Amino acid sequence: MWLPLIGLIVGLIWGLLTDIRVPDEYTNYLSIAVLAALDTLIGGIRAHLQNVYDQHVFVSGFFFNIILAASLAFLGVHLGVDLYLAAVFAFGVRLFQNIAVIRRILLTKWMEKRQRFEKN
Amino acid sequence: MERKKKIHFTVITTIIGFMLAVQFQTTNHPVVRDTRDMWELREDLKKEQELQRQLLEEIRTYETTLESYQQKRAESKENALRETVEELRKEAGLTEVRGQGVIITLQPFYAENYVGPVIQTVSPYLLKRLMNELNMYGAEEVAIADQRIINTTVIRDVNGITKVDNYKINSFPIQIKVIAEDAEKLYNRLKGSTVLEDFGIEGLQLEISQPMSNVVIPPYNDSLHIRYMKTVKAEKEE
Repeated sequence: MWLPLIGLIVGLIWGLLTDIRVPDEYTNYLSIAVLAALDTLIGGIRAHLQNVYDQHVFVSGFFFNIILAASLAFLGVHLGVDLYLAAVFAFGVRLFQNIAVIRRILLTKWMEKRQRFEKN
Repeated sequence: MERKKKIHFTVITTIIGFMLAVQFQTTNHPVVRDTRDMWELREDLKKEQELQRQLLEEIRTYETTLESYQQKRAESKENALRETVEELRKEAGLTEVRGQGVIITLQPFYAENYVGPVIQTVSPYLLKRLMNELNMYGAEEVAIADQRIINTTVIRDVNGITKVDNYKINSFPIQIKVIAEDAEKLYNRLKGSTVLEDFGIEGLQLEISQPMSNVVIPPYNDSLHIRYMKTVKAEKEE
């Protein structure tokens, strides 16, 4: 499970080295895209831990969520409603839920391990 | 299956990392909130206006410089043309010329036992011969009886009177002014020339002055008629 972490670091370094900056008007889109991506990632980890991981769902969800969030923000800008807040809210809530689930799963696993260790 | 999962996660984490980095860089330079009050704003505005004024002034200075340069260039073109024209005029003999040279005085010379008509004029052939000799000896500008000799000058006999460009040459003594680059040389060569004898046969005496440092030759007075010359239009180079 080290490979994804290395990927994250590589991506970070890549982004920092290329020195790409998004124009001010598009920061909202990018932030919401980041949020969507994180949500998908965390969801994927959770699915993986719950053994319900499906690569098609994961990959399609990743891109679809990003596009959906960005278009929602775009629509919000044009409607004059801060619709991206809705996306932020939805993704935020889901992020927290997913992280909570992951935490519980990991905790259970750890407890089981410890119990097994104590038994032995 | 497990490997594929890993690759998917890696790709997606890489993308997320990249997006995070971009977002981080974008938001790392936050817009500083403008907290200036009216007076500060006014002052700043004044500063900016001052700056603008300065810039405008600078632009004006540079424009003036540019204009002066352009004017200079145009003038220099004009000057060059003028110089060329002046040079050509000089070459054509339309200007007064000063320089070192000699003055030849031509007058009748009667021998003691001379009987015959009074010599009233000098034959054009003799004058032409003298001219040729002078040219051979390095004369640059010549004037016969203050009549400038130019390229189109004619020396001819009209009804028994020698004329140089329609001006009669019949009142002795006739002064022939010659300017040469090296007057001394011209003088010496003339002294040794046979042209003196040729004149002597016709009863004329050539008196060659010592080389002078300042001989003034007048300009050609009449207008030049160019009849058989046309400007050539610049042909396209092939």
